[in-house]
Amino acid sequence: MAKFTKMAYESADDMLFGHAKKPVSYGLGIKVGAGRVIPEVNYAPRPGTEKSVERITKEYVDYISKDAINRAVTLGFPDLQLETEWVAQMGTVPGMGASVVAGQKAITEKMHDEYGINLAVRHTIPDQREAEHGLRGGMDKKFGYPEKFIECCEIACENGADVLSVESVGGKEFADYAVTHGDITAFLFGVGYLGSIDMEHVWTQMVDIAKKNKTIAGGDTNCSGANVSMFMAGGMLDNDVQKTFSAVTRCISAARTMVAEEVGATGPDKDCGYEGVIVKSITGMPAAQEGKNCQCAHADIQGNLMAQCCDLWSNESVEYHPEFGGSSVACWLGPLGYECSLMNTAIATGNAKTLRDLYMASDRVRGPEGYVLAYDNAWKVGKAITEYGDNYYLRAKAAGLAGANIIREGYDKKELVLTKKQLDVLDAIIKELSVLPDDEDKFYDYCVKKYKDDVPTFNPKSYGF
Amino acid sequence: MIDISKIDYSTILRRYDAEAENMDSPEAVAAKMLPSDPVLSEVASAVLYMKFKEIGPVVKKALESKEPLDIINNGLVAGMEIVSHLYAAHVYYLPEIMMAAKVMEVGISIAEKQIPGGRTTKGTVVMHAAEGDPHDIGKNIAAVMMRSSGFTVVDLGKDVAVDDVVDAVKENKPFLVTGTALMTTTMTAFPSGAKKLQEAGINIPYMAAGGAVNRDFAESFDLGIYSEKAPQTPPIADKILAGYDWKKIREEWDSIVGGE
Repeated sequence: MAKFTKMAYESADDMLFGHAKKPVSYGLGIKVGAGRVIPEVNYAPRPGTEKSVERITKEYVDYISKDAINRAVTLGFPDLQLETEWVAQMGTVPGMGASVVAGQKAITEKMHDEYGINLAVRHTIPDQREAEHGLRGGMDKKFGYPEKFIECCEIACENGADVLSVESVGGKEFADYAVTHGDITAFLFGVGYLGSIDMEHVWTQMVDIAKKNKTIAGGDTNCSGANVSMFMAGGMLDNDVQKTFSAVTRCISAARTMVAEEVGATGPDKDCGYEGVIVKSITGMPAAQEGKNCQCAHADIQGNLMAQCCDLWSNESVEYHPEFGGSSVACWLGPLGYECSLMNTAIATGNAKTLRDLYMASDRVRGPEGYVLAYDNAWKVGKAITEYGDNYYLRAKAAGLAGANIIREGYDKKELVLTKKQLDVLDAIIKELSVLPDDEDKFYDYCVKKYKDDVPTFNPKSYGF
Repeated sequence: MIDISKIDYSTILRRYDAEAENMDSPEAVAAKMLPSDPVLSEVASAVLYMKFKEIGPVVKKALESKEPLDIINNGLVAGMEIVSHLYAAHVYYLPEIMMAAKVMEVGISIAEKQIPGGRTTKGTVVMHAAEGDPHDIGKNIAAVMMRSSGFTVVDLGKDVAVDDVVDAVKENKPFLVTGTALMTTTMTAFPSGAKKLQEAGINIPYMAAGGAVNRDFAESFDLGIYSEKAPQTPPIADKILAGYDWKKIREEWDSIVGGE
């Protein structure tokens, strides 16, 4: 497996929304990263609709998909990608997943034929694997989740998914501990190291299944780690987790999320992976991103900035329900599509880099995570990763240290304000990461011993040890 | 890149987190709150400052001169109460809560061995994350806060089947059962569980929480009550122990979580 040891972009300034070094075409006329930004709308079915195959299919196809496509046509949007993040029952109730996938395929074909709108559906299968029962095939005797994971990929691809994705959970047992205890080494071990190993394992299989069915192997996100960290760090008044801690976890997560591309995924990766801009700087593959237009799902403090280099622009997820202006899916698609229209107008008029910079500048100092994800800084984190690109552990550590040092420099030159607590935590992170061993085996032994009691659900066999 | 060096950010955003920062040190706040008794103060300090290595020797030394219940209630729990105060005042944050609670629990486990028949707690709560839902970080944080507030927690873990929840309630006889869910289609387990409890003649409040759950949903089924954030769970539990049923919790929810 070839790992990324060089940057796809020679300079940060070359990175831009709507443009990827390696654009991808699929579905019914969708071209991602090929010169324009495309809205990607995501949704959740109403509670209770999961009770039967017929009911949930109707929810996803006749209500959600139809509403969204109709609204896109109503507002004159040329492209639309739908994303269905499978609810748990789609992977466990026989026939449910296949019915929804086939139903969405059929309605996109019908609407494409009728209106000519470019359409595609991304299917994000559920990763329900649990550390306590084992992450690999044959380990989970209670639920069989590792096997169900692969079955879901097959069902999605065989029934017409245009893009296959997942929010994989390798290393989550450490990530949960790390975030709640402010332990950056635990995060590095869980997400940066074990998470990368797990991604290599699952994505090798996902890419094979996707190729066999002519589906695009999209990408991943560290939703279960860095997003938990970011959500708990929250906004200005939510300080359960320090924002400097969250920002460093984001950098570490990039070294892990890029593994999908290393084993053959082509992008676009997942919208909720805020690390996407770092990954894009390294891989050159299209990035789905979210920010200000995903307030229906959660608030983050880099809402404009996240649009800076996106290729798909997403709302994260909204529960289907009525609003004054139509269904929630239609209403939240509207601002998404108009934002894409603005970006595409900027591209068409030669003003794209100016708009990119305005997006970036408006949130650059709103918080440390936005600061380190500003495309110029994100590119530097990517560079640090590629310098150790051959080694999962060393590149994740380099990402964390690079991100932490960038934030420290921003504070030192009085560009970025930090609270005393944020600064204390940041300095402690730099100190902690700096003294970790350079040898992967020593790091593994150190962590296994250190977290023996605190993370009892860790099973080395889940990661092939 | 456009020139951003001259931007006056005061016209664009406000860093309320920096403006509202509480610069009090834990030591300054604790000085006014630590027990006056030197032995109990040492025990409380070990919790307050998260001294994992010291808590064992400190509690054992205290047991030479103090009753175990005195050490627990007026040393260990008192220390944790200061931690909670510091958390509410934004001097301490979640990691400090988690670590201090762990220290407190180590101390309690040592002290309660000296109590004939064991220690009685304020009451038992059964907690779980819904079937099909692997997200349990919120439940875990709430469980720590409940233990820290003097409750016994029966933690069923994540992805727990409705029937297993009902069986655990029948077995442990809690005054409250809680469930968390991050998905719209897994939180439907809560009304199912509540219905089964009622059919078994059990009418304890069924707290629904988690990212996908809102107050409307939690209050859409009999027994259902809501908790928006983990720190709201102990004060709601205290009211149930004070005699509030699920209907009264709903009626007074705003004032309860508002700290009134």
